[in-house]
Amino acid sequence: MEKELIDVDLSMKFDSLSVLENIRFKVHENEFLVIVGPSGCGKTTMARLLAGLQKPTSGHVTMRGESISPKVHNISIVFQEPSCIPWRTLWDDITMGLVIKGVDQSAIKKRAEEVIKLVGLDGFEEYFPKQLSGGMKQRVAIARAYATNPDLLLMDEPFGHLDAQTRYLMQIEIMRIWEKEKKTVVFITNNIEEAVYLATRIIVFSKLPARIKAEYRIELPRPRKLTTPEFLGVRSEVTEQCEVVER
Amino acid sequence: MGSNYLERVKVFSYNLISLTIFIILWFWVARWQASPFFASPAEIAQGFMQMVTVGDEEGITIFMHLWQSLIRVFSGFGAACVLGIPGGLALGLFPFIYNRTRIIIEPLRFISPIAWIPVAIVLLVGFTRYVFVIWVASFFPIFITTLWSVRNVNLIHINVARVAGASRWFVITRIIVPATLPYIAGGMRVSLGISWMCIVAAEMIGGEMVGIGRLILKSSMMHRMDLVVVGMLTIGILGYCLNEVFIKVEKRIFRWRAAVSID
Amino acid sequence: MEEKINREKYKTLGYNVLTLFLFLAIWTLAYWLIKSPFFPSPLMVFNAFLELLIHGDIEDVKLGMHIQQSLWRIFGGFAAACILGIPLGLLMGLYGRVYDSTKVLIEPIRFIPPVAWIPLVIVLLVGYFRFVFIIWLGAFFPIFIGTLLSVRGVNPLHIEVPKSFGASRFYIIRNIVLPSVLPEVLTSMRVGLGIAWECIMAAEMIGGERVGIGIMILKYAQLIRMDAIIVGIIVIGIIGFGLNEIFIFVEKRIFRWKEVVSI
Repeated sequence: MEKELIDVDLSMKFDSLSVLENIRFKVHENEFLVIVGPSGCGKTTMARLLAGLQKPTSGHVTMRGESISPKVHNISIVFQEPSCIPWRTLWDDITMGLVIKGVDQSAIKKRAEEVIKLVGLDGFEEYFPKQLSGGMKQRVAIARAYATNPDLLLMDEPFGHLDAQTRYLMQIEIMRIWEKEKKTVVFITNNIEEAVYLATRIIVFSKLPARIKAEYRIELPRPRKLTTPEFLGVRSEVTEQCEVVER
Repeated sequence: MGSNYLERVKVFSYNLISLTIFIILWFWVARWQASPFFASPAEIAQGFMQMVTVGDEEGITIFMHLWQSLIRVFSGFGAACVLGIPGGLALGLFPFIYNRTRIIIEPLRFISPIAWIPVAIVLLVGFTRYVFVIWVASFFPIFITTLWSVRNVNLIHINVARVAGASRWFVITRIIVPATLPYIAGGMRVSLGISWMCIVAAEMIGGEMVGIGRLILKSSMMHRMDLVVVGMLTIGILGYCLNEVFIKVEKRIFRWRAAVSID
Repeated sequence: MEEKINREKYKTLGYNVLTLFLFLAIWTLAYWLIKSPFFPSPLMVFNAFLELLIHGDIEDVKLGMHIQQSLWRIFGGFAAACILGIPLGLLMGLYGRVYDSTKVLIEPIRFIPPVAWIPLVIVLLVGYFRFVFIIWLGAFFPIFIGTLLSVRGVNPLHIEVPKSFGASRFYIIRNIVLPSVLPEVLTSMRVGLGIAWECIMAAEMIGGERVGIGIMILKYAQLIRMDAIIVGIIVIGIIGFGLNEIFIFVEKRIFRWKEVVSI
């Protein structure tokens, strides 16, 4: 039933510093995979490796049997840092991926209007990033990533810089979007509650050098409530594995 | 760590290679041109030796030229610091003074220091001429950066002190002055560069006997191109060293800052 | 609220005009007290201005002609500096290796003040090209280094976004690197123009031309005519200020996205 999309089997070193050690997992189509781990454990490096922006020191990342590369595969990434291009209007920014992929004009227009509505930014098309709030900017980044209909959507702590309130609303929103357009998502975070709320599967990384510590399949019904006993049960189970995170 | 070291050795050797290629090219062009106006590296090296041991046609060694220029630069520069920093602080703290006298300060600021040289020639004699020109040249960068940096002190830092019940004096000496120091140092470095350029112009126009600018002009009039290049290189290297020393000192003193700009 | 801001503006303007009058008054008073041939009154300066404007200087060259000549020289050298400096800066910024490997050649040349080149240029070049070369030297390095550093300062994240979509190198340079560096390139052009303005003064004074605003001042310095010198200095200040303002205006105009506008 589960079709394998990505195969990861790698180690990563920077000079003599070992960051990722024997990381081995698969990503299946249409799943929402969340990677949790303490801050500074190499999660961002993992995201960059999955995006094909970096090559592992040893091992491989393959997508449908081919070594992963943004020139070959349709991948999108939402970065942790605000990544809107300051001199591009919201419209130009969101259509960037489509233009690069060589989609024709009318299709770009249709798809861009679709995703802008999806993230609730209609009416702001001609705005520059400076004129938008932090939450809106991150929604632009998400819309930009979604626009190209990626086979793999990477999200590297996308809500890390948002306040608790906005963060919560964005989680609800990302869930709504995911349920509407089922994509394969790899979501990276250090927040366990967020992980349990979103994931169909969770992989727990240890601290540096990162190894896979545990793996959970989350089968709670959606929409999930943060306060039900089932949710809290799963949450504390995962938390125990990551004692490093919540000191 | 290891690869970092390797990288540095690599960059160093590449630089060495470019330098060698450059000198060989120069040699080659000089031989090919065979013109008295085009000194070869060997002639320049000889010229340099002559400048160190015997001196120029009037028997003045390069050290005497340099020494004179340096004294002039640093006297003018010192005067600019003494007046510019407190002046900038004062006008920064009382912005209304600056706002109401802008009409005089701004046009003065845009007069090139070199345009003051004829004024200095008419009104002043000898050493004070140069001190005045250098002072004009370095005063405005120092003054304006100081003023600007006072206005841009983070208000939060001031408020923290205020909330704790600090006096105005405390805020000025403990918050504003330390916050502005890195910018003042930056302004000083910029104006030292400008001074260095102006002393050369002033010495050429002002008609002194000794000074590195004079050396260049004098040699060019006698078509001693080797000595001209020696003078130019000396200025370039010394200017570079002064700049580097300044950056080193800045980095040392303002370790608490995230980064010091490179240029 | 708006009315209050407006009132504040008019008040500042009023004070500025008052300061100007006060300045002129003190100047006149000083003139009456000092009574020196080296110290002209504002009225004498104004008369000299009219004379220069209408009848021209001692060699019958009108003020407008001097200004035109100087600006024309600046234009030639500055254009050459932009045409060479911007592409070269971009290139060396994109291929950092090249700059790192030739630093040993670029840095010392960069620190030779352009003014120090003047004697060499006088020997090697004639007429218009003398000035073009000096201005080019003066403006080239700020533009070149400014462009280079701004390329290095492009936010890596802005490059990774299109990269993650599989963009070509060309797309990234055109759509990310160029727009990102443009404001800083313009700023460094402004700095370069400022230095060019300094250099043209020195070059004209040392280069021995007949026409040009720099030589005009020096001519009158030799005649000890302070009134005409002051006219020249004021003209230089105003033109320098004007050039700077034009650039600032353009910068503000083009880079709307840089301004902080909140909704």
